[in-house]
Amino acid sequence: MSPTPRDITCHEALESLFEYLDHELTPEVEAEVRGHLAACVRCTSRFGFEEVFLRFLEAKSRAQGAPPELRRRILERLLLDPDVPDR
Amino acid sequence: MDLAEKQAAFEREALIHLDALYRVALRLTGSKADADDLVQESILRAFRAWEQYRPGTNARAWLLTILRNQFVNEYRRRRRRQEATAEIAEDPNAVFLSARAVDPSGEFFDRIVDAKVLEAIDELPEEFREAVVLVDVEGLSYDEATQVLDIPVGTLKSRLYRARRRLQRRLYDYAVEMGYIKASAS
Repeated sequence: MSPTPRDITCHEALESLFEYLDHELTPEVEAEVRGHLAACVRCTSRFGFEEVFLRFLEAKSRAQGAPPELRRRILERLLLDPDVPDR
Repeated sequence: MDLAEKQAAFEREALIHLDALYRVALRLTGSKADADDLVQESILRAFRAWEQYRPGTNARAWLLTILRNQFVNEYRRRRRRQEATAEIAEDPNAVFLSARAVDPSGEFFDRIVDAKVLEAIDELPEEFREAVVLVDVEGLSYDEATQVLDIPVGTLKSRLYRARRRLQRRLYDYAVEMGYIKASAS
């Protein structure tokens, strides 16, 4: 069983806000933040808002992919053309 | 590895990342024509250097590193505009505090169209923009992004933080302007 996470303040939780949302914290610190959020309505609301923002950012900026014409040209150049320099 | 094998491996492991490469190129160069060229040149370089890639390791980060280096060496100096974004105050709480009375769960974000979000990303200074594009748009880990950008993780975190604050402020202001959310006094 893992030890009970250390209690942290709102300030400390907010310092880890983005690293928490980006899943970049160590398991111990992540547990501390999660523990704080379970007990703090204000921070939960704040973290939730930032999470919505990050999801929105990803969703709205990823719609576009490479144009089919570019893909075709690259495939032709690389995969069908035996003259691609091979160094 | 003969050429056919190399082509097959490259198609299987590298070309599946073409969409990500194109999106990053588009945000870095700011033009479809330049993004096309940058992606093609980078893919060609990657193909020629394919022997240096270790199969099973992170092909996306490896390709993005090649693309970003190519951009820095060949394109940056002829970018369409200089980085002259005005300093924006970065109160870490500002947008949340403004929004929480009327829309604490941030529903207004969903009403903002894709083009406006891309425009806001394009307005960021380059060093902020590339951090956002790699981590927020393409979902790279901090470790992968620091590898591509060749910066320490502390620098990446600081850039991400400031970039996100700016983007949020910009898009909140736009949402207020469009009437998606009521301006709040706080």
